Amino acid sequence: MTNQVAISVRALTKRFGDFTAVDAVDFDVKRGEIFGFLGPNGSGKTTTIRMLTGTIAPNSGSAVVLGDDVVATPERVKRRIGYMSQKFSLFEDMTVDENLRFYAGVYDLTPEQFERQRAYVLEMADLVGRERELTSNLSVGWKQRLALGAATIHEPELLFLDEPTSGVDPTARRQFWDLLYDLAARGVTLFVTTHYMDEASHCHRLAFMYRGRLIAVGTPDEIRHNRMRERVLEIEADDVDGVLAWLESAEGIREAYLSGALLHAVVANAPKEEGHAADRLAARLRAAGFAISSVRPVDPTIEDVFVHLVTRERDEAEVPS
Amino acid sequence: MSAKRIRLLIWKEFVQLSRDPLLLRLLLIMPVLQLILFGYVVGADVKNLPTAIVDLDRSAVSRRLGQSFSSSGYFRVDARPGDERELQAMLDRGDVAVAIVIPEGTAARLDRGETASLGIVVDGADSKTASVASGYAAQIVSDYNQKRIAEQGIDLAGPGLDARVRVMFNPTLEAVNTMIPGLMATILMISMMSIMAQSVVRERERGTLEQMFVTPIGRGEYLIGKVTPYVMVAIAQMLLVALVGRYWFHVPFYGQISVVFVGLLLFMFTAIGLGLLVSLVSRTRQQAQQTVMFILIPTMVLSGFIFPIESMPAPVVPLTYIIPLRYALIVLRGAFIKGSGFSALAAPLLAMAAFSAVVFGIAVSRFSKRLAD
Repeated sequence: MTNQVAISVRALTKRFGDFTAVDAVDFDVKRGEIFGFLGPNGSGKTTTIRMLTGTIAPNSGSAVVLGDDVVATPERVKRRIGYMSQKFSLFEDMTVDENLRFYAGVYDLTPEQFERQRAYVLEMADLVGRERELTSNLSVGWKQRLALGAATIHEPELLFLDEPTSGVDPTARRQFWDLLYDLAARGVTLFVTTHYMDEASHCHRLAFMYRGRLIAVGTPDEIRHNRMRERVLEIEADDVDGVLAWLESAEGIREAYLSGALLHAVVANAPKEEGHAADRLAARLRAAGFAISSVRPVDPTIEDVFVHLVTRERDEAEVPS
Repeated sequence: MSAKRIRLLIWKEFVQLSRDPLLLRLLLIMPVLQLILFGYVVGADVKNLPTAIVDLDRSAVSRRLGQSFSSSGYFRVDARPGDERELQAMLDRGDVAVAIVIPEGTAARLDRGETASLGIVVDGADSKTASVASGYAAQIVSDYNQKRIAEQGIDLAGPGLDARVRVMFNPTLEAVNTMIPGLMATILMISMMSIMAQSVVRERERGTLEQMFVTPIGRGEYLIGKVTPYVMVAIAQMLLVALVGRYWFHVPFYGQISVVFVGLLLFMFTAIGLGLLVSLVSRTRQQAQQTVMFILIPTMVLSGFIFPIESMPAPVVPLTYIIPLRYALIVLRGAFIKGSGFSALAAPLLAMAAFSAVVFGIAVSRFSKRLAD
């Protein structure tokens, strides 16, 4: 079962006029895995999901979802998948119960199935006793869980989640991921897009999308360790903004950005084996007049790799070949 | 197509409608309010018209004629100038809207069995008032003649007073009678267009549209599920307008129900199509509302609903042919007032069929395409 493929995408392409939103993308998602789909806004994540859910047709390429060609037979696929968007897409002027009843009806659940699933969703979303409440009165965390419940009322084998945690507070986000783990434990394949890098590490495998193309696919560990050859230096300084401005124009610094309260810099021509890079950078910064507490090499985080890959892509695009 | 899913969508739409009591009330109050406004405003403006009577004859006949005008309720005699020359200034200032001139020798002419001319001057600034006022005046004069004939036993074909105005068709209630069938079509258009646009745009704003198309709901199912509840609402509105028009304003109905039904049905598809098109070009509900207004204003002005097409300047008239409401008005007014049947109304009905096929067809195909992109 685990070796089976849930999604198989080959050379999938979608163009809107002159703009290529998704450019010959290939990837596979195994059954039962949590597949993280990352990328900045406008990189083509949502367009990819819309093609995989059969909402829009690609211009070329193929997408096989749960063994069915989603381009040729979207109706066969639609019954077996679930989808939850960042808008939570509930009918706000309908009650909790009416929302569930609607989606259960759409998927043609029997009354027994509906009763069972309804009980499960109300329990899961912590909405027992609030069935008759209007959805618009629920706060964000509850709406999010109800939306998840509505999207899974027909027990889909594969669930697409498009930025399901955007706008939700960190506690609710953690609770939500617990629910996603529960689903995964029951064998549901999850395809999740997010721009929260901490959430990326919750996934079994990741794909990075940038400007319509996939620039990296792998497990979080593979991505952290194999995709980056250069050293990442973590800088602790008093004047973070000043140091960042200096780093951005300094020679030999490929990338510099904020990482929490600290700064991360990627130094050009400094392979991981070399330990002097940190000392040299600290000396340069102090010579430039900054008060530096420490500069030390760190293991790249997923965010580091992401920034690195994006920067490299952008540089390559700008250099005429 | 699954009948079960369509029923579910209709149920959903009614649940949502019931959660918006303001909208529901608006949908039922708006037609009645418009009826009363248009019905009474139109009815009132031809009553108590400020009138001047210039009685140059000063005879029993002229006094009795003046009496008929002032007691009719349509004319309020505000001035009795002794001279015709004063009239021009009074009309210019708007002191009076109607002037009646009874020339010297009127009684004498009638006594001799000749025709006597009566001058009726109507302020033409308001074409509607003018035409209705002339109609009333002619009616009063003809009533006067009839009475005179009855009293004196003069031969029916014999001469009498000649009011230099043409008798209009159905003068007393003409405005209300054309207004109410027109209102049925207008209200249908306003409410269908704006509710369709609003409800689709709201669904897109909230993301529920996107959500529904990930489920097995088909585009056809969605459209039928969306349109059906509002068609039912529109039918309720039309019945309400028809009942109020018939029993409150006593609008006569000479035609066939089937003509009215077919006309409204064809027009409804055009209105739904327009609403869908508006929903496609509008990102927010405010935009949708503005777009609806943008369509409604030329429609109201050019369709003949308020201003008669015959009185429009010639270069504007060709524009009226692209206004769907124009044809709906012809069909409904024809069916209500003249009792016209399908054969007499074939041309406007065909035009309406063409409009609904084109507008609704384009709307549905654009809508499906938009969802697929």
